Amino acid sequence: MLEKKDCCESVSKFIQDIKQKKISGSYNIAISTVELLKKLIIQTEWKTAEELLKIIQDESKHLHQNLPLYPTVESMVGRILKIIREEYINGREDRPDADAGVIQSLQRLMLAESPAEDYKSIVPELQEAILEHITELETELENSMFDFSADNIVQQACEHIHSNEIILTIGKSSLVEAFLKAAAAERKFEVIVAECAPFCLGHEMAVRLARSKIETTVIADSSVFALMSRVNKVIIGTHTIMANGGLRAVCGSHSVALAAKHFSVPVYVLAPMYKLITTYLCSYDQDAFNCFVSPEGVLHYSDGAILSKVHVYNPVFDYVPPELVTLFISNNGGHAPSYVYRLNSELYRLDDK
Amino acid sequence: MEKQDIVNYFSNILEKEKDVSAGMAAIRTLLEVLKHDKSETVQELDSNLRAAGDAMRNTDYPTTAVVSGCELFSRFVTLTNLDTASFGECKTIMLQRGEFFLKKLGLSRGKIAKLANNFIVDGSRILTHSKSRVVLQAMQEAANANKRFEVFVTTSSPDSSGVEMYHELEKASIPCTLILDSAIGYVMEQVDMVMVGAEGVVESGGIINKVGSFTMAVCAKEMKKPFYVLTESFKFVRTFPLNQRDIRNDFKYPASKLLSDLSKEHPLVDYTPPAYITLLFTDLGILTPSAVSDELIKLYL
Repeated sequence: MLEKKDCCESVSKFIQDIKQKKISGSYNIAISTVELLKKLIIQTEWKTAEELLKIIQDESKHLHQNLPLYPTVESMVGRILKIIREEYINGREDRPDADAGVIQSLQRLMLAESPAEDYKSIVPELQEAILEHITELETELENSMFDFSADNIVQQACEHIHSNEIILTIGKSSLVEAFLKAAAAERKFEVIVAECAPFCLGHEMAVRLARSKIETTVIADSSVFALMSRVNKVIIGTHTIMANGGLRAVCGSHSVALAAKHFSVPVYVLAPMYKLITTYLCSYDQDAFNCFVSPEGVLHYSDGAILSKVHVYNPVFDYVPPELVTLFISNNGGHAPSYVYRLNSELYRLDDK
Repeated sequence: MEKQDIVNYFSNILEKEKDVSAGMAAIRTLLEVLKHDKSETVQELDSNLRAAGDAMRNTDYPTTAVVSGCELFSRFVTLTNLDTASFGECKTIMLQRGEFFLKKLGLSRGKIAKLANNFIVDGSRILTHSKSRVVLQAMQEAANANKRFEVFVTTSSPDSSGVEMYHELEKASIPCTLILDSAIGYVMEQVDMVMVGAEGVVESGGIINKVGSFTMAVCAKEMKKPFYVLTESFKFVRTFPLNQRDIRNDFKYPASKLLSDLSKEHPLVDYTPPAYITLLFTDLGILTPSAVSDELIKLYL
């Protein structure tokens, strides 16, 4: 059995690996989060679901404090907490009612016969059931992420991109790239890439698209508005979907979305379900929301003389409010931003924090 | 219970206990009616409960929450397995469920306050309208958590309920300012968010609340400030107003005025369409306006 200390150690190691980018990319992070939690489930000592939930919730708090900007970690922990609850209820001999306590609703409030489940009874073979369910989750992850061409999101490309359209995107997203390439296999269209300064990852994106024979134009971020009038669709990736349907996306996305709104151009956001989190943006000066990196790209170190006279910031993210997003394209279809709350309540238990 | 007893019991609760809202009082009254009920069949019981609801609606208290509360209560007590031997047993079950329902509802205000707490951050300035017990509790809890924030309260004519709210906030030593109803536009640029309660939440996800809420919502939208509604889920009511005229007259005017010329009366509530609401904080969680219709459909379909 794993002592409290060892268990902390493996969690700390996980946090460190992510911070030092030894584990990178959403898919790898998702898989290793699941691995870590599996280890916790197997190796720590617990008797009832309540104890197990407590262990994982504690670790989840720890993870969240240290890795506030990794939605995938938060999402996977949420999924697994829900799995534990579901398996507990399925395993109960008397089975109160099928999904009691899993989803809260007005109907639940009305129909509930008994007080809320306390997860205290001992369920035989709970661990096996949970692990089996987690394996299903892993298969789901593998299917959607291992190979982009097999991804459900990419398969929807032809439904959304039509011949001779002009698509605008910003920065680099491997999912958007795969999506555009999939559509290009069947149709001819044009792509405009905003370079997304100061990182300018848009350049790389444009090169890759051009290599697959897609007609590509790179523009400066400042010309987004000027070109928007001729664009048919904006297709972007995102870092996170917030609980209200807003986005935490690469800096510059907000101005693209606003320009699109001005010209009534639809904004499609490609986002697999593991980017969905249950937090809201409570205030614009929330510390955990954004992250600031080296301002090297904004002002060169060689401009040393001015450095002491000015403030230089280089934020990574933008918040895009839900009313600027037309549609989310996820691995289980298209969803309007107003529907995100529903996905949230299906995937996670909302008071699991 | 006679009609007069019902009304007395109902108004007694509201007068004596300032902390209880009309909807809660209605549910408690119905439970009392159920206790003293002498009916022999479910149908008779149902019509008795309905009559009790009608009697309470004919008082001069705000009726929106009474209507929703009564409807939910009768749903709740009857939505269960009633295949028992005698009607007496059946009634005991209903009574137990009623008590359970009431207990559950009692907890909701605390839950909402906890949810809203995250949104009140240090240095925020909040505008609120009229008096709402949920908003008050949320603010008290935020103040207890040592958050520093400032509140603006409208006086809210005609009954000046905002003045009451102002005194309550002062008691909790929360810095607050009383403003005129007509100064909503003036203070809007200074505030970070609007937080109001609701008398009823309708099927579209919009709210029915003290007159002036709509003005505030339009103004907030124009100035791009978030408009938050704090409300218990028993205030979800099955009506779908299309505009202000479309709200039921008994929601808008006190019962004693219903027979007079209504075109000369001041309405007491207005309807705020869902497009103006950012989020609703309820005991079911934080909901977008479209989630409300979902909840209502699930229950009443």
